Amino acid sequence: MATDTVNDLPATAERVLAQMRRRGFDGAQVSVSRQRRHELCVAHNEASLLRSTQSGKVQLVGLLDGRRADTEGSELDADSLDALVNGLWSSVASAPQDAANAVSAGQRASVTRGPQQADTAALADAMREVLDWRAAHAPSVMLEEALAGHTQIESCALTSGGSALQCALGWYDAVVFGMARDGAASSSFNYAGGNCHGLAGEPLAPRFGMADMLQAMARSVHTAPIGERFVGAVVLTPRAVASLLGWLLGQLGDQPLIDGSSVYRAAVGQAAASPLLTLRSRLDAPGVAPFSADAFSLAPVTLLDRGTLKCLTPSLYGSRKTGLPHVAVGSDGWDIAGGTTPRDALIAGVARGALVDRLSMGRPSASGDFSGVIKNSFVIRDGQVGTALSETMISGNVAQMLRDVSAVSTERIDTGGWVLPWLRVEGLHFS
Amino acid sequence: MSSTLTRHELETREHELRKTRMLMVDGNLTLNLRTVERGLSARAYVDGYWGFASAPLAPGGADRDRVQRDALANARALGRFGTRPPLPLPEVRHVGRQQHQGRTPLTPAGCSERLAELQAWCKKRYPGLRSTRFLLGDEHHAKKLATSAGGDSLARIDRAACKFTLVGEDSAGAPIEVDEILSGRGTLADVDWSLDALAPLLDRAHEHLQAKRHAVAARGGLQTVVLAAPLAGMLAHEAMGHPCEADAVISGAVTASLLGQPIASELVSMVDFAHTYDGQPTLVPVEVDDEGTPARDVVMIDRGILTGFMHSRETAARLEQPPTGNARAYSPHDEPLVRMRNTAILPGTQSMDEMIAGVDDGYLLLKTGNGQADSTTEFTFGVTLAYEIRGGKLGRAVRNTTLSGSAIKVLKSVDAVGREMHWESGGYCGKKQLMVVSMGGPALRARAHLGGE
Repeated sequence: MATDTVNDLPATAERVLAQMRRRGFDGAQVSVSRQRRHELCVAHNEASLLRSTQSGKVQLVGLLDGRRADTEGSELDADSLDALVNGLWSSVASAPQDAANAVSAGQRASVTRGPQQADTAALADAMREVLDWRAAHAPSVMLEEALAGHTQIESCALTSGGSALQCALGWYDAVVFGMARDGAASSSFNYAGGNCHGLAGEPLAPRFGMADMLQAMARSVHTAPIGERFVGAVVLTPRAVASLLGWLLGQLGDQPLIDGSSVYRAAVGQAAASPLLTLRSRLDAPGVAPFSADAFSLAPVTLLDRGTLKCLTPSLYGSRKTGLPHVAVGSDGWDIAGGTTPRDALIAGVARGALVDRLSMGRPSASGDFSGVIKNSFVIRDGQVGTALSETMISGNVAQMLRDVSAVSTERIDTGGWVLPWLRVEGLHFS
Repeated sequence: MSSTLTRHELETREHELRKTRMLMVDGNLTLNLRTVERGLSARAYVDGYWGFASAPLAPGGADRDRVQRDALANARALGRFGTRPPLPLPEVRHVGRQQHQGRTPLTPAGCSERLAELQAWCKKRYPGLRSTRFLLGDEHHAKKLATSAGGDSLARIDRAACKFTLVGEDSAGAPIEVDEILSGRGTLADVDWSLDALAPLLDRAHEHLQAKRHAVAARGGLQTVVLAAPLAGMLAHEAMGHPCEADAVISGAVTASLLGQPIASELVSMVDFAHTYDGQPTLVPVEVDDEGTPARDVVMIDRGILTGFMHSRETAARLEQPPTGNARAYSPHDEPLVRMRNTAILPGTQSMDEMIAGVDDGYLLLKTGNGQADSTTEFTFGVTLAYEIRGGKLGRAVRNTTLSGSAIKVLKSVDAVGREMHWESGGYCGKKQLMVVSMGGPALRARAHLGGE
């Protein structure tokens, strides 16, 4: 990014918006951002690489007579911006007209959140602590990759409708990925990680469920198939719960609403999940952008209130296309309310089933049907966690699983983007 | 470049990445995006540690010295983790320019008009569909690499794909889908996605969709399956390819202790091709990787025996094997990792009809949505189109299911390999970074687990 523009994103955005108006667009959105990242990477249990990257992005949306085109570039010098605007003009002219195309209007917000400067010494200290923790508490685990990083993003989005959104976000993040070994045998790989606003105050290893995951991995080198077919229950860890929520959130968004494949299209106000489930946004979380991609400032939203679906989440385009109310949401920043059952009691309530940490499966169908292998998982019999499982498959329907949640743990894992409890779900087919 | 650097310690890359994405849903152009990203990166290896830095590619290249200095400083900063003897990284040097001779790219107007034509044709021909989607994508990488060993290269990846999805309803009113993808080298002008070319594929997909309206659940458990070529390619990439990436081997993937041992039927050979297959360029031709290593083919399985792994310079040094040119970086701001290129199981001798005729009770698996595998070679693929095989003949369509198993057990069970080769490069491989790869294979007949009732 040219140095004369990096410190003045709003001015750059204003300049490009004016240029687009002069070019003839009758609607426009300009988003300009700059990102700096520092990242300390571990390979095979040892510090290996220190990265520092700077990148810039300009994203343009151009509307002309109901037609729309988008473009993105990484440079903000005048010649590059001219080329982007001219290319966008060429693209928009041939797009089909669609009355649903529009840009946001009247949105105003400015948000600064989190540490804006990286403390690379703190990153190194935190990673050293993770490596020491692994050596002491999970020595059979090989961290194929791990990282501790800091990201700082500044952005400014303007629209021809008068929206002006600015933010400066900073956050730290960490991820561990690896497997455990015992001689020639190895566990399945697994990973954990999350975002936070600071590294001080508490050790990094236990955060985001990383320590629990690594210790469970060490216990799962030697596995056995479940060996029989039955209908039983699963206790899903927060990582597995995230798979269910990913499907649900997808079904509430644009494409399945527009093409009519969403099973929730007419379900607002109805019981879409167990009354034990309440799902709401979490907009102040580390790394969570407070604006939507189509330049709306996000307001808090409750998607499930004790199981009742409160709204769908079409974008501005999806809303105008379908006639459904517009609800702006981000891709991350969700919270399932904790329940009243301790995690151990969730497990104790399973006569026959499994504690499931990772669902390895094809993409569930639009109807929610799925079958998948449960990885990094343990058998449960008579309320007791037993051996680690291999080659064990469960099948069911994600929408039905959300309705069949029979208990929600009091404990939750906070990964920044998600705060999720353990869930017990009945009625899964094991094979 | 700093005078303190010795040979083989610094690589500098200028990387431009251009993409097009267009999605038309029922005549609505819901995505009409063109992107360009340019960046300059440097990576240094000092005292056993790596440092990497990147920045947008400024006009005139004035930031080159700063980016190189930052990379060097980052490598040195890791000295706080203690002294580490540097690995004897293999010496590599490649000088060359990779060119792509393709057709003149289509204009945005040309793409929009053809999408509208395809949508209109589908609407008229298949009035009962709930929805029709066409996704176009192309992607072009140009990487200029200079290394302190004298390497000086331009590498290019140019690929394009067209994917269509037909959405209908099953007999109970639930949504069902069938999709198809065409992919190739070059731009969207080099892949034939004209109506003439797509019409027979659309008709066939529509027939499958009608069959899926009355699909039955698969029987769960161990089954005899005929994997159509796209699934065999996925098996090659996901289930055996990843465990043969040398960084996974060093981590303890089960392949680590199996070199030289049988891990598949003698009918199975598997290769990660660098840039050429059967005398023709592969879909993702890699002549030199992003460390400057000239790329060569890696034979991972030779007639059932595990014979080799894919390497970066570092993993080659750690395992005392030659580098293979598998160190690849996806974006201008990514460092090279060990990645696959064009991974395939080699063709055999049987026709698809012969393979089906040899199954008394099993399934033909035609399409997969996605796949995952892990260090144990245990894999899971979503199967989005399948049919029963009863008495050597195709039967009813099967609802979406999942194929799983140990790749080693499955490959050992292979008793027939098809003679028709199919290559595809439509999606991405994910491993910290995205990566453009291709996968290929013939049909296979094997035993594996299906999810179901």
